Amino acid sequence: MRQARPYSGMFCGGVSARTGPHALPLARIKKIMKRSAGEAAAAGDGGARMISGEAPVVFSKACELFIAELTRRAWAATLEGKRRTVHREDVADAVRNTDLFDFLVDVVTTHNVDDGATD
Amino acid sequence: MGSPQHVSHVRASSSASTDVDGGGLNGNQDNLLPIANVGRIMKDVLPPQAKISKHAKEIIQECATEFVGFVTGEASERCHQERRKTINGDDICHAMRSLGLDHYADAMRGYLRRYRESEEVAAALNNNNGREIQIDVRDELSIFRSNEQRQGRN
Repeated sequence: MRQARPYSGMFCGGVSARTGPHALPLARIKKIMKRSAGEAAAAGDGGARMISGEAPVVFSKACELFIAELTRRAWAATLEGKRRTVHREDVADAVRNTDLFDFLVDVVTTHNVDDGATD
Repeated sequence: MGSPQHVSHVRASSSASTDVDGGGLNGNQDNLLPIANVGRIMKDVLPPQAKISKHAKEIIQECATEFVGFVTGEASERCHQERRKTINGDDICHAMRSLGLDHYADAMRGYLRRYRESEEVAAALNNNNGREIQIDVRDELSIFRSNEQRQGRN
C-alpha cells in the first residue's frame, strides 16, 4: 500500500479514513488477520489468504466501535456495583449479557487471577 | 439466525493467559492489539471520573483481538467458497452480517464506501503528479461570454 505524503490527504475529504492516524495500528491488525485467515484456510485448501489494503482500515474503525461498545456495557455493570473502577468481572458480565458477544465467552472466563490492580 | 458456527475457529489470543512477562497477564505480546491504543479508546468513552483496572484493559485487549480473528476467519471461509484469494473490505462486512454483528456490518459498509471514494480521489491526484491540474473556468467568466456573443456563438 502506497504511503501517503504528509498533506496528500487534505484534498481527499476523507483524511481520517485514508491517511490516519488510525485508532489502532494497521500492521498489527493485518498480522492478527493473517494468523486467523491462515488457520481457517488450513482446514480447507491449505493456502493462506491475501489481505487487501482496505481490510485493516475497516477493522481499525470496527475495533474502535467494538471496544467502545464493550467498555460502555462493562461500565454499566460497574455502576450497578456502585463502583468507579471497571474490573475484569464487569467486562465478563457485559459479555454474558450480550447475545452477539457469545464468541467472547471463552476469552472472559480463561483468567482466574484476582483483579486487584488499578491504574 | 441462530448462534454463529465456528467449526474451525481457533482463538486468536489463546496464548496470552499463560504469559506473565512485563507485569500484566498479557506482557509484551505482538499477537494482540496494543494495550495503549485499547486503553485510550476505553478512556474516551468513559466519564472523566471513571478508572479502568489493568486486568479490565487486558481482557478487552484480548476481546478486541478475538473480534478481529473471529470475523476474519468467517471472511476467509467465504473467500474460499468463492474461490478468491484476497480478503477485501466487503468480505469483512458480509462476515459481520453472517455472525450476527449487523450494526457493525452497516456502519462499516458506509465507512468502506467513503474510504474507497477518497482512495479514488487520491489516485487521480497522484496520476497528475508533476503536471498542473487544469480547470477551465472560462465559461464562467462574463468577459468570455460577451466575446462569444459578439462572434455569434451561444
